Amino acid sequence: MAKVTVASDWLAGCAGCHMSLLDMDERLVAILEHASLHATPITDLKHPPEEGVTVGILEGCVNNSAGEEVARRMRARCKVLVALGDCAVFGGVPTMRNAACRQAALKRAYLETESTAEGRIPSDPELAVMQDARPLNQVVDVDVYLPGCPPSADAIFHVLAELAAGRKPVLTGKLLDWH
Amino acid sequence: MSESALLKITINGKATTARPGQTVLEAAEAAGIKIPALCHHPHLKPEGCCRVCLVEIEKQRSLMPACTFPVFDGMVVQTESPKVVESRKNSLQLIFSERQHYCMFCAASGDAEHTDCELQRLGYQHGIDVWAYPTNYARQWGVDATRRFFVMDHARCILCRRCVRACEQVAANHTLGVQQRGPRTMICADDGVPFGESSCVSCGTCLQVCPTGALIERSSAYMGTSADTRRTAATCMGCAVACGIHAITRDNHLLKVEGDWEAGNGGLLCSKGRFEVVQPKPRRIVKPMVREGGRLVETGWDTALSYLGARLKEYPHVAGLASPRLTNESLAAFACFFQEVLESSEVGLLYGQVPPLDLGEFGTLADVARADCIIIIGGDPLEDQKVVGYLVKRGFDNDAKLIVVNDESTPLEPYARSTFDLEDISHHVQSPFERLRTTYHLRVSGISQLKHAAEEARRPVVLYGAGLSTTVYAALRALPDKVKFLPLIKGTNAAGAARLGLEAQNHCGEAMFLMLGDDMPEDVPMPKAQFTVVAAAYESPWTAAADVVLPAQTWAEQRGHLVNMEGRNIPISPLLEAPKTVLPDYEVLMRLSVRMGHAMSYQEIADISMAL
Repeated sequence: MAKVTVASDWLAGCAGCHMSLLDMDERLVAILEHASLHATPITDLKHPPEEGVTVGILEGCVNNSAGEEVARRMRARCKVLVALGDCAVFGGVPTMRNAACRQAALKRAYLETESTAEGRIPSDPELAVMQDARPLNQVVDVDVYLPGCPPSADAIFHVLAELAAGRKPVLTGKLLDWH
Repeated sequence: MSESALLKITINGKATTARPGQTVLEAAEAAGIKIPALCHHPHLKPEGCCRVCLVEIEKQRSLMPACTFPVFDGMVVQTESPKVVESRKNSLQLIFSERQHYCMFCAASGDAEHTDCELQRLGYQHGIDVWAYPTNYARQWGVDATRRFFVMDHARCILCRRCVRACEQVAANHTLGVQQRGPRTMICADDGVPFGESSCVSCGTCLQVCPTGALIERSSAYMGTSADTRRTAATCMGCAVACGIHAITRDNHLLKVEGDWEAGNGGLLCSKGRFEVVQPKPRRIVKPMVREGGRLVETGWDTALSYLGARLKEYPHVAGLASPRLTNESLAAFACFFQEVLESSEVGLLYGQVPPLDLGEFGTLADVARADCIIIIGGDPLEDQKVVGYLVKRGFDNDAKLIVVNDESTPLEPYARSTFDLEDISHHVQSPFERLRTTYHLRVSGISQLKHAAEEARRPVVLYGAGLSTTVYAALRALPDKVKFLPLIKGTNAAGAARLGLEAQNHCGEAMFLMLGDDMPEDVPMPKAQFTVVAAAYESPWTAAADVVLPAQTWAEQRGHLVNMEGRNIPISPLLEAPKTVLPDYEVLMRLSVRMGHAMSYQEIADISMAL
């Protein structure tokens, strides 16, 4: 049986969900017997292959034009899209920014932080354009939701194992945890 | 209830019976079937606004809320049919999407087994892994942090109105309400003022019933969920009401206090009992201190007690005053120490008031809660026994006839059906003046009106204060037998002290022994003497002025008993562990008595409790 191809990427998040993925420890080996990892932010290949993968995993929410692009590209290149972690599923911590206006957020981040001296708000036209922070499903269609901050290694293993076996994962009991 | 009066109903195919007037939710619960609900609270009247408890009832055209729908004979209910579960999940999704219910920022959040949030618990139970509707994160819901002890985060509010109902039905304060309609609906105080500026009395009942993290207490928020904390039933020692509480502790710290729904106070507490007990305290005294060269110096128990024993012997007149917050055991040891060791009768309480306790049958808090006539004479429960005051206001809401007799105006007066001055009830009907008054001014005396009101009522209760004239007490004794009496005692255990013969006095001697426990009396001036010993848990101006300071246990650390205003002897068990160098009061007095050559007859706490 051909291995299930997997790619992952991250948007506005903290990388904690990918750390939790690594927390699967030796179970990663078991997963890799059934799946092949193609591109992830923590391996050499960064972009999902053009020919596509079976499972795409995205961590973090969408909060700028670059994130939106990454999300759309992953959606276009995978059959099953997994929203990994609270930010991807619910919006998460970055959505706190929405309550303040964008200019106020930029001002606070680039001019007013206690460690900043003579700061300025970046304005290079090549930079991504700031947007309201949104959960992934407000930008692209999502097939599997895996909430948690971060989701436990057990929950990630359960989801990947179910996907590798060709089933749609269902989270119950301790595996479903939002905090 | 006879079998025939019961209604036959079927829930999820299981035949059972229900009492007429029960709701579907109550009947299901009695049959062991749990129907999930959010706005429902067992101690509040049902509201039916969250739509989570919708169930399928045969012959009804749509799903019905189980929390408000009364049972009828032959009723067939489905609580877990696909239609019901689908609808319940949708109700939850609507609630989740309405405001900011992202759990990670929330103080009430936890895992499936230990969350303090009822919404999150239902979300977990129903396998909700994403919000089905777009979220409302960008909208500013507002946080009202104008109250001293707790905060309202409107973003977490699900508009279940439990707080509104608790404020109205339990605390009888009617501060909270709802303003606007539809998606603009908000919980508000009075006519929309900040909570801190409203008529709120900070009893915290709303906080106790809030199902989510919308109402959070400043001192306990983010300090741990039920997984990390321990909940112990205990007794509040804030005043003579001695409310039943649940103390929430973690790592030998008191985090939070909740009212015990099953106790006489019925979940109610006042701001003192719920919030002030968990506020930061002055520095704790952990070691005995002796004044040397004008400065208090920490020392060991042996040195301190030897020194103290020698000094006390120097003075022929040693007087002792104790706080009424101490247990029977501490007070008994104190009294015994003065009688047996110092052979002095100059011993009493720092403050406290106990009216005569022999007017008639003792009432309970439950009697006040269900009274149909409440007579308050010479006291102000809203000030000194707050929870009793709230129960009186609740009585007013439930149409109890309230009569206030006082020379001064009290906050309960506006609720009274009639008010009298104390003078009105101090004249005997036989007195010639009274007869003149009745004859010529056609005025019925206060006492006959009281008598009449008490006779008319089925469950009359009299709340009476201390320091009234003997004729007033005599008039009260003449009230009908069905009247229950509740003394408005000031001082937590002043009743227990009274049983030991200790009452508030202005004793002064050349040497003073002041036993405070964790009390810090603000209105009482410190007695002056040549030599002063203060036993206290916390540093205060009193300890700073003392010649010898002995560490003492706090209310939450001591073991013993107290007598409350209902006359109940309530056992007190330690909630927290005292620092190792802090000993119980009776232990200290025992060791001191041995050093002074008159070992007291009490050996252990069990002996003292037994001797009482």
